[in-house]
Amino acid sequence: MIEFNDVSLVYPNGTEGLKNINVKINEGEFVVIVGLSGAGKSTFIRSINRLVTPTSGSLIVNNEDILKANGKDLRKLRTKIGMIFQSYNLVKRSTVIKNVISGRLGYTGTLKSIMNLFSKEDKLLAYENLKRVNIEEKLYNRADELSGGQQQRVSIARVLTQQPKLILADEPVASLDPPTSHQVMKYLKQINREDKITTIVNLHFIDMAMEYADRIIGMRAGEVVFDGPASEVTEQTFEEIYGRSIRDEDRRGGLEDE
Amino acid sequence: MAEQLTLPEKPKSKLTLVKRIFIFIIIALIYIWTFTSIEIRWDNIFSERTLANIDRIIPKFFQPAVEETGSIMEKMFETLFIAYTGSLAAAIIAIPLAFLCASNMVRNKFLNNIGMWILGAVRAFPEIVLAIIFVAAVGPNPFAGVLAIAIGSTGMLGKLYSEVIESIDMNVIEALEASGANKLQILFYGIFPQVLPEFMSYAIYRFEIDVRASSVLGIVGAGGIGTLITFAYMNRNWEEVGMILLVIIITVTIIDQISGFIRKRLV
Repeated sequence: MIEFNDVSLVYPNGTEGLKNINVKINEGEFVVIVGLSGAGKSTFIRSINRLVTPTSGSLIVNNEDILKANGKDLRKLRTKIGMIFQSYNLVKRSTVIKNVISGRLGYTGTLKSIMNLFSKEDKLLAYENLKRVNIEEKLYNRADELSGGQQQRVSIARVLTQQPKLILADEPVASLDPPTSHQVMKYLKQINREDKITTIVNLHFIDMAMEYADRIIGMRAGEVVFDGPASEVTEQTFEEIYGRSIRDEDRRGGLEDE
Repeated sequence: MAEQLTLPEKPKSKLTLVKRIFIFIIIALIYIWTFTSIEIRWDNIFSERTLANIDRIIPKFFQPAVEETGSIMEKMFETLFIAYTGSLAAAIIAIPLAFLCASNMVRNKFLNNIGMWILGAVRAFPEIVLAIIFVAAVGPNPFAGVLAIAIGSTGMLGKLYSEVIESIDMNVIEALEASGANKLQILFYGIFPQVLPEFMSYAIYRFEIDVRASSVLGIVGAGGIGTLITFAYMNRNWEEVGMILLVIIITVTIIDQISGFIRKRLV
């Protein structure tokens, strides 16, 4: 369970990233955060694994106030939280399997990992996860030989290899075309269902948010302006969140035929 | 319709024209000043004696002393070994210095500047000067040459390495950080895979340069083929000098070809 209690974040240049956020996210939920760019979606999601540190309030993840964690505790906390990025963030010159197994680094001793001595179970785990996102045949390819959608699937496999309790995805489909976007979202949804992993995704496409989310949180100017189940959300809600009428660019479209 | 395809005319400014003329005049003046202030004695250069000397010496270069090949090759290999050991040492010493200089690794302007200053100071010495210093320190042997090459190359490699480090994709580092990896693991899994191919490419390129640099180190007694050049030249043994030059030219060409081939495949 994740609990934001009065969390605020002011950046050193004075920008308010988050303003008094009070949100509770339950185990196993699939939450989509929507909002325009600059609304604080990214800051919200990055607070949960402390890539940014809120300046006040408390943030409870698994019964622990993570704002107090530092050094070793912080790294331990992060091993249980997987993160997926807009630009995939794979090491392009390394092989797919090496990228995926790097998800085990937090569990492996420094010396062992430097010598590339991962246990057989870890290697099998990495391979199994590549199978789950249907990209196991690219095992020994270099990451930069893969297409965008394939790279994002590899990054999902890397996250799964962490065996996380929570997955954060920061605009995971913003650099992909519509069919690939849906494919990636489907994998995320499937993993959320099968493994009961709490998943929080940042999106700015309203149709995708409505399609995949259990719950939608709307943000504007660092504040939560909407929070409710996806079934209650209409275009009207989005217009309120965005503070303007809905335009074509707010939709991803291209949903495949079922 | 054809008119629409022409580009808008480039704005002509009087100021640029004046500037160009001004720069041209300054450059011309510098040339005139240099040529008038150094005294070139053309009659001396083209005297009977010079021409006779050229006539006597140059043909000997083209009759190289093939019988000396064995001893020359031995020294050529020594030169290669000096260059190899020296550039290998530099390739390694340069890594920590490069990290110190890279502003995305050490987020402290002061430390970055210290690193830059060290590399700059090292770069300021030509190898031959370093060789003189090390011959005085460790005696006239190839080890002095190795030290001179190692120190001389560190300056350039450190600077190039730090530029490579500064150009890496930091998002990858963030991703590893987010998965709970520690600093050393990030170094080995996020940074090294991104920089090592380029590090190696630069190190090989530097080896190429070092082969040439170490060919002359022997002149000040720091080992290698330069020693032979000095002896042959002092004995007016031009046939041998010719042979030495031939060996150097062939070796350097071969090394350039090989290193170019490897470097192309690395990156």
